[in-house]
Amino acid sequence: FFLKKITFVKHNTLPNMDVTLGLLNGGDDEDGGGVPSDGSTTNRSILTGSKEDNNNNNMVVMSSEVTSSSYPVVGDESLDGLELGLGLGIGGGGGGLKSKMVASGGGGGWNQYARILTAKDFPTSLVSKQNSCSSSSSVNIPNNSSSSGTKRTATDSVSPPNGTSVVGWPPVSKAHRMPSLASQLKSPTENFVSKPEQNKSKNRTVGLKDYLDERNGISNKKYRSVKVNMDGTLIGRKVDLNAHTSYEMLAQTLHEMFFRSSAEAVKPSRLLDGTSEFVLTYEDKDGDCMLVGDVPWEMFLSSVKRLRIMKNSDSNELAPRFEENNQRHRD
Amino acid sequence: MALSFPEEVLEHVFSFITSHTDRNTVSLVCKSWYEIERWCRRRVFIGNCYAVSPGIMIRRFPEVRCVELKGKPHFADFNLVPDGWGGYFYPWVCEMSRAYPWLEEIRLKRMVVSDEGLELVSKAFKNFKVLVLSSCEGFSTDGLAAIAANCRNLRELDLRESEVEDLSGHWLSHFPDSCTSLQSLNMSCLSSEVSFSALQRLIARSPNLKTLRLNRAVPLEKLSTLLHRAPQLVELGTGAYSAEARPDVCSNLAEAFSRCKELKGLSGFWDVVPFYLPAIYSVCSRLTSLNLSYATIQSPDVTKIVTQCPNLQSLSVLDYIEDTGLNALSLSCKDLRELRVFPSDPFVADANVSLTEQGLVAVSEGCYKLQSVLYFCRQMSNSALTTIAKNRPNLNCFRLCILEPRAPDYLTLEPLDNGFGAIVENCKQLQRLSLSGLLTDRVFEYIGKRAKKLEMLSIAFAGDSDLGLHHVLSGCDSLRKLEIRDCPFGDKALLANVSKLETMRSLWMSSCSVSLGACKRLSQKMPRLNVEVIDEQGDLDSRPDSSPVEKLYVYRTVAGPRLDMPSFIRNMAQNPTYMR
Repeated sequence: FFLKKITFVKHNTLPNMDVTLGLLNGGDDEDGGGVPSDGSTTNRSILTGSKEDNNNNNMVVMSSEVTSSSYPVVGDESLDGLELGLGLGIGGGGGGLKSKMVASGGGGGWNQYARILTAKDFPTSLVSKQNSCSSSSSVNIPNNSSSSGTKRTATDSVSPPNGTSVVGWPPVSKAHRMPSLASQLKSPTENFVSKPEQNKSKNRTVGLKDYLDERNGISNKKYRSVKVNMDGTLIGRKVDLNAHTSYEMLAQTLHEMFFRSSAEAVKPSRLLDGTSEFVLTYEDKDGDCMLVGDVPWEMFLSSVKRLRIMKNSDSNELAPRFEENNQRHRD
Repeated sequence: MALSFPEEVLEHVFSFITSHTDRNTVSLVCKSWYEIERWCRRRVFIGNCYAVSPGIMIRRFPEVRCVELKGKPHFADFNLVPDGWGGYFYPWVCEMSRAYPWLEEIRLKRMVVSDEGLELVSKAFKNFKVLVLSSCEGFSTDGLAAIAANCRNLRELDLRESEVEDLSGHWLSHFPDSCTSLQSLNMSCLSSEVSFSALQRLIARSPNLKTLRLNRAVPLEKLSTLLHRAPQLVELGTGAYSAEARPDVCSNLAEAFSRCKELKGLSGFWDVVPFYLPAIYSVCSRLTSLNLSYATIQSPDVTKIVTQCPNLQSLSVLDYIEDTGLNALSLSCKDLRELRVFPSDPFVADANVSLTEQGLVAVSEGCYKLQSVLYFCRQMSNSALTTIAKNRPNLNCFRLCILEPRAPDYLTLEPLDNGFGAIVENCKQLQRLSLSGLLTDRVFEYIGKRAKKLEMLSIAFAGDSDLGLHHVLSGCDSLRKLEIRDCPFGDKALLANVSKLETMRSLWMSSCSVSLGACKRLSQKMPRLNVEVIDEQGDLDSRPDSSPVEKLYVYRTVAGPRLDMPSFIRNMAQNPTYMR
């Protein structure tokens, strides 16, 4: 069995909307739906009716956000041995599920609702990535310490620290991203310095090659997501470099991605200072393996092709090469 | 009777019908109208370059002069579309170069353009006049040099927000001395410095130049020289707006600005030094459009400017304007139609400026003509949204971005369902909506029931279940574009509304709960949709049907599966396992 954190969100309901909450025992697959038996933790709703039945079926809504305590808590039983799921109610609400519902507390229209749970019912916060299935968009919600001083309840325990960001959020286009930073990047003198670095390998022959290059996915752009692989881990990840403004920020994100399990508190990353058992390296556009952190951030952005988190023991062979490369760049 | 009407007369009548939708409607009346219309269509708009092929367009419309194409999905602006996705201009320009020798105008948005493509444009179309590349990429200043050198009658070159490989500023010097036709030049996205004397000469020999958007590298000290050469300018984008504080330079600049009696729009303003702001005061009263979204100036300075612009219709600012500035705006700018407030520090959770929902409420109260809003902020409440909705039922575009995903009403901690519900209930002409904050399926119920004119909807981190998506797909009659990220929407709603998808331009879903199997079934049911699964993990062919897809892009097309997909995109109609 698994537990899902749910709450029931009550609003100024529209008069003709009835919502029921179903509570099912064990693995019963009754009329009204059940929980997927593979134990998957995706927060899916199960619509067991087909489209044709819509006229007298009411969808059951399951929300996974905790709202304020002004919502009545109907029951507070232990959840051991219960599976939570969605079911279809019929007409006035309840249908075949009514007999299963624990109707207690509340009044009036709340009679048919079985449980309203708050975060206290659950031992640990389980809502980490309920809404994202993709590895490339980990939902990191910055701590909400807004000026009005309100506190978020349930998700506090899973909020990562400030500084981590979700890919493509907030939705600010490149043109409007980080104007203060952009001013440092794009001042004429700075541009003059970094230009040879950026353009040295581009022999611009206009021709069919460009079209074919585009088709093959080779792009001239200076921003992108890069792959990150860690030694010993089979599946790589992707990180959006454009969402980061410094090495520290990048190291923090990578630390979140690869080293942190959901329960543990966040420690500052040691990927950059050589004290961890791993080192962060990258492959630059010449194919060389470089240590992350030595060149200015903007220069790194323009030359990095992929990242690799290497075991520290392997990095010894890196060092001499790095020195060699450093020499080459200085020439 | 249509039969006794000479074609020439009908053609003449049709020439007054310019809107694309109207012309499309005209062509549906009967076969003869279809024929007449297609021969006299001069402007074609293709909202999704993969919905149709160049060949199909050319076959139907043989006499086109202006083509507008859009490529990547909107979420490409936020890095959600991987490199190599597509949107190549080259196949189009190849065929158009053969079929449309008299082509005059090309407008592209979010497409990949190459230098070779630009060179072909410059040589194949003898009467080429207008090139607008909006948020495009893949080309360098070499391509621009070809355009400058070869297009004898070039009227407009607009590179707005494109990513250009900037090899040097030399391209501008390729405009021949004989080129005097320029009316509009927007090079604001380029970083290299152009030859100032070449720029000056170009401006001096372009008497019809109305729009000039300089890039950051053009120094402020030289701006007055340029303005003296072009006092007829209607829209100006400055370069970097900073220099050593020198009163003589400032007064020269002020004097140059005051000569520009036609000036209605200002933009640029990178690196603003407040000392130089008074130079624009003389033109403020005429301004209808002001873009200060790069100006990192504080509230008092911004406020001082906007309160001098009573005719302002469109304003873009950073959130440095704060609630006080917006309040002043609401009192001074009664003609305001469009407001965009961008975040100065979007990746920091704590507010660095005092900009809240109150600023937007104030503007909604004072600016009676306000139609279009893009607002980034850190807190919002249902009561504020309801107030805004009741104040401004004439809103047609409402895009709200609360920076923290799933942020609730900060006063009550409730979801913002009711607030957005009020927006769609009161603003009956709403065409575009972007949601944010904590939202349950309830808000989608409101949207499905009320937002009957809604054409574009953007959803992020919202909803509880497939029911939410189902409400939207089954209720929004005018929906054309739907883009969703990080929502618990899955197979059921999608498969229950398959035919809806053919009435829309496109659907984007990323980081949702859609399974590979559902994508295959969708594709099977709807052969005129391209169901494209984007998945960079690299093992799509061996994934079980129950596995979730990273990103899904579905669009209607008459051109079949596209042939230029990179390895990480699959069209579900071509799925090898499906074929069995």
